[in-house]
Amino acid sequence: MLRNYIKIALRNLSRHKVYSFINIGGLAVGMAVAILIGLWIWDELSFNKSFKNYDKIAAVWQNQTFNGFKGTQRAVPYVLGDEIKAKYGSDFKYVTMCSWEGEHALSYKDKKLLPRGNFFEPQVTEMLSLTMLKGSRDGLKDPSSILLSASLAKSFFGNEDPMNKVINFQNRFDLKVTGVYQDLPYNSEFTNLKFIIPWKKFIDDQHWEEKETNPWRNNSFICYAQIADNADMEQVSKKIKNVKLNKVTKEDAAFKPEIFLHPMRNWHLYSNFENGVNNGGRITFVWLFGIIGLFVLLLACINFMNLSTARSEKRAKEVGIRKAVGSLRSQLISQFFSESLLVTLFSFVLALVIVQLSLPLFNGIADKKMQILWANPLFWILCITFSLFTGIVSGSYPALYLSSFQPVKVLKGKLRAGRLASIPRKVLVVIQFTVSIVLIIGTAIVFRQIQHAQNRPVGYSREGLIYVPIFSETICSHYNALRDDLLKTGMVTEMAQSSNPSTDLWAVNNGYEWKGMQPGEQGNFGTVAVSHDFGKTIGWQLKEGRDFSRVYPSDTTAMIINEAAASFMHLKNPVGEIVKCDGQPFKVIGVVKDLVMTSPYEPVFRTVFMLNYNWASVFNIKINPDKSTKEALAAIEVVFKKYDPGSPFQFRFIDQEYASKFNDEQRIGKLASIFAVLAIFISCLGLFGLASFMAEQRTKEIGVRKVLGATVFNLWGLLSKDFVLLMVISLVFSTPFAYYFMSQWLQKFQYRMEISWWIFALAGIVAVGIALLTVSYQAIKAALANPVKSLRTE
Amino acid sequence: MIRLKDISKWYSNGSAKAHILRHIDIEINEGEFVSIMGPSGSGKSTLLHLMGMIDDPSEGEYFFEGESVFTLKEKQRSELYKKHIGFVFQAYHLIDELTVYENIETPLLYHKISSAERKAMVADILDRFQIVGKKDLFPEQLSGGQQQLVGIARAVITKPKLILADEPTGNLNSKQGEEIMDLFTRLNKEEGVTIIQVTHSEKNASYGSRTINLLDGKIAL
Ligand SMILES: Nc1ncnc2c1ncn2[C@@H]1O[C@H](COP(=O)(O)OP(=O)(O)OP(=O)(O)O)[C@@H](O)[C@H]1O
Ligand SMILES: [Mg+2]
Repeated sequence: MLRNYIKIALRNLSRHKVYSFINIGGLAVGMAVAILIGLWIWDELSFNKSFKNYDKIAAVWQNQTFNGFKGTQRAVPYVLGDEIKAKYGSDFKYVTMCSWEGEHALSYKDKKLLPRGNFFEPQVTEMLSLTMLKGSRDGLKDPSSILLSASLAKSFFGNEDPMNKVINFQNRFDLKVTGVYQDLPYNSEFTNLKFIIPWKKFIDDQHWEEKETNPWRNNSFICYAQIADNADMEQVSKKIKNVKLNKVTKEDAAFKPEIFLHPMRNWHLYSNFENGVNNGGRITFVWLFGIIGLFVLLLACINFMNLSTARSEKRAKEVGIRKAVGSLRSQLISQFFSESLLVTLFSFVLALVIVQLSLPLFNGIADKKMQILWANPLFWILCITFSLFTGIVSGSYPALYLSSFQPVKVLKGKLRAGRLASIPRKVLVVIQFTVSIVLIIGTAIVFRQIQHAQNRPVGYSREGLIYVPIFSETICSHYNALRDDLLKTGMVTEMAQSSNPSTDLWAVNNGYEWKGMQPGEQGNFGTVAVSHDFGKTIGWQLKEGRDFSRVYPSDTTAMIINEAAASFMHLKNPVGEIVKCDGQPFKVIGVVKDLVMTSPYEPVFRTVFMLNYNWASVFNIKINPDKSTKEALAAIEVVFKKYDPGSPFQFRFIDQEYASKFNDEQRIGKLASIFAVLAIFISCLGLFGLASFMAEQRTKEIGVRKVLGATVFNLWGLLSKDFVLLMVISLVFSTPFAYYFMSQWLQKFQYRMEISWWIFALAGIVAVGIALLTVSYQAIKAALANPVKSLRTE
Repeated sequence: MIRLKDISKWYSNGSAKAHILRHIDIEINEGEFVSIMGPSGSGKSTLLHLMGMIDDPSEGEYFFEGESVFTLKEKQRSELYKKHIGFVFQAYHLIDELTVYENIETPLLYHKISSAERKAMVADILDRFQIVGKKDLFPEQLSGGQQQLVGIARAVITKPKLILADEPTGNLNSKQGEEIMDLFTRLNKEEGVTIIQVTHSEKNASYGSRTINLLDGKIAL
């Protein structure tokens, strides 16, 4: 019996190829999208979960209040770790301070590499449950040791044994390899941590203990902790709230520092804080894509059900005959269910193939390394449940409804009961297109917003601008000679050093005072140390006053502020005003137009620029626009090698760095647009199938009308009219939804576009256009058919 | 075997009722060969559908071998039908997606007959109806008469006790028509199969032992 059912099902599928293609293909695409999104969500949710102590690890962060706003930051004083250990030792298993993970120049003999790494206290190996391939987790206890990841060890030593080899750190000190650990998994916070050096080495080398008269003032370090096995994250977090407040001076207490634990489980998806309260983060995208995935799946299911039920009306006759030759109702039910399950099974297999083939592309866009979870039972349970569900729902119309009638009723075709029967189908089409149009509008707005921010004036010139990170202090002492040599090559029009590249702001300092400062106001400003030529190099635009100049030796106590700083201080005529920094007076000599250094979506932060040759992190270089970039870089490298032979030459293009600020949004936009296109595609497939079905149903009517003198255009209008109406209804429904959701989304950007009406109009035109194209093909085909032929088919 | 008591059927057309059958009382015994005649539209097919349990009346009672058919559950009625009745449609009603062979085989599937037996039975009947050459064709590739033959073959293959045939020879030439009538007579005489046929031809009606005349939904005497 089952074989017979399957035979009929296959024959039906192959007899109606277009229909089968639409039905199986459409559902498969929908399932594939859902699976891809599911994998993406799975990947997001499993971030960091590979750490054994996932539930117990936290980063120690702090809230501070500036001018009434509670700001959240990960940077804390370097003495915090020891203080926590001393006061709350029993609540923690491990506490470790560290610096900021970054690229550092390591060398072994002639081999120079620039891996990322960090300085940690020895217990980090236990906290992160490092898998030691060589040496032991105690490796960091020797202050002159270094642990390498397996990949870095391989790059340095190939197949040689790395143990006890001596590696030089930035021409500053030597370190002995005391262990090799397995690289940390890609979807974890520490995936790029390729080496670990003892924290003690860092503190000693930088002379932090001597430099800092009050170590509680400098919030430049990071602290991780693992709470005790029996401790509760929230309680411990509350307990340590005042650990810093109790130590700071009275002035600093005004910032109300609150220390808290930011649990590892929240790092990836809940990383945003507003006014000291966690308000989500990437989890929004997880929800967004989850919803999109469900919708695409819903669209595909609607298609499948719409087409299956439309088709099954043609099979009413078969149902009648089968009953008349002795079929029981239950046998018909199982026939139709096995048929629709067979089709969903095909779709599912096809979906797996599509996913497998498109994963590399999808991984590229999403910047992930996802794989089908072949071995995960949850994956199979979800997929199979869904397939069963779709199969059963779409098979239920013929299985349960058609089979319930007396054979003569279905045989006489009385079930094609006029207009009402098609209403549920039309409602489903409207749902499909409403969702599709919302997606079109949403994607259009995402891209417009990105473009809007990209077109924002940044206040300096990114063209031909590069920066070179400084790895060794020796080169700074040769600043003037280096600059002269670079200019002499003719490849460089200007160069300068600064404490951060122009695409970032690394320091925000407290302790500024100015004339007219109100009590209760707090002076925290972005602070950038620059050399004389910084402004000329990046091409900033002076609004008032003048740039730094070697002509005025007093400029060492001068500052240039940006517009945001001037307006924050309510200075009418800022030039000439005195602003104190930690009690020391500086004279404002100029105001520059706001430079977009941090997020292109946020207002520019109040920032001051001061001359300081002793605080430099990067060289900024403007390449001569008349020379080729390649030649210029080669010439620049030669000069750098001359002054800093020990470090590898590393540079970044500012325009690329700036563009990377849009990566996240662009990635989201790209993914969303792919899903929107697929949603439209699936909806159109459905529409195409439905249109062909309706045209087929009306073959006789069309034939008769043609014989009576209707033109092709008349007939096209007759068949398309209904569908256009459906599109218009969908547009009406989708507009308020899209408007609401997208205004909500735009709220998170301070610098945002206005949603203009034409986006909706355009989306409407696109949707109606695509629908018309889809339907017209069928309508015209039916209208052009030979009437004698079409009349005979009845 | 069959007893119809005061059967009526009508279609409501708005408030008006269109009567198709009015107060029909019929009794047919096992082993009879009955012909139903009447002008077009008089309700012959409708009556036959009712007797074949594939349509419901608006009013009245129906006893099949003493069982009240219309009070039976759907499932029991289907079983009863399957066991005893073979139906030949006026409009043939073959399944378009199946070949001649498969169309004839379908009722055997529902009778749970083993595959080997099915093969033998279908081969036998194809032979008897001289359509062996057509067995792999689909209904749309057959002429009206050929489709009618397949329809009859499908009805008799399960060896039912009662054959209901709605103008079984309407599209056949006179020689084929005679062959079918001979087949029915043989089934009736030799195997005791009860046969009820609708026909327009006096000649075919004469094969039967009794004729019921329908006129405007009533039995004309
Ligand atoms: N669904 C329906 N709604 C209304 N009237 C119907 C319906 N089906 C059949 N009829 C009417 O019932 C009457 C009897 O139909 P039936 O098919 O039984 O006639 P018949 O005697 O078999 O005719 P013929 O000899 O042409 O086959 C006809 O007048 C027909 O118009
Ligand atoms: Mg009839």
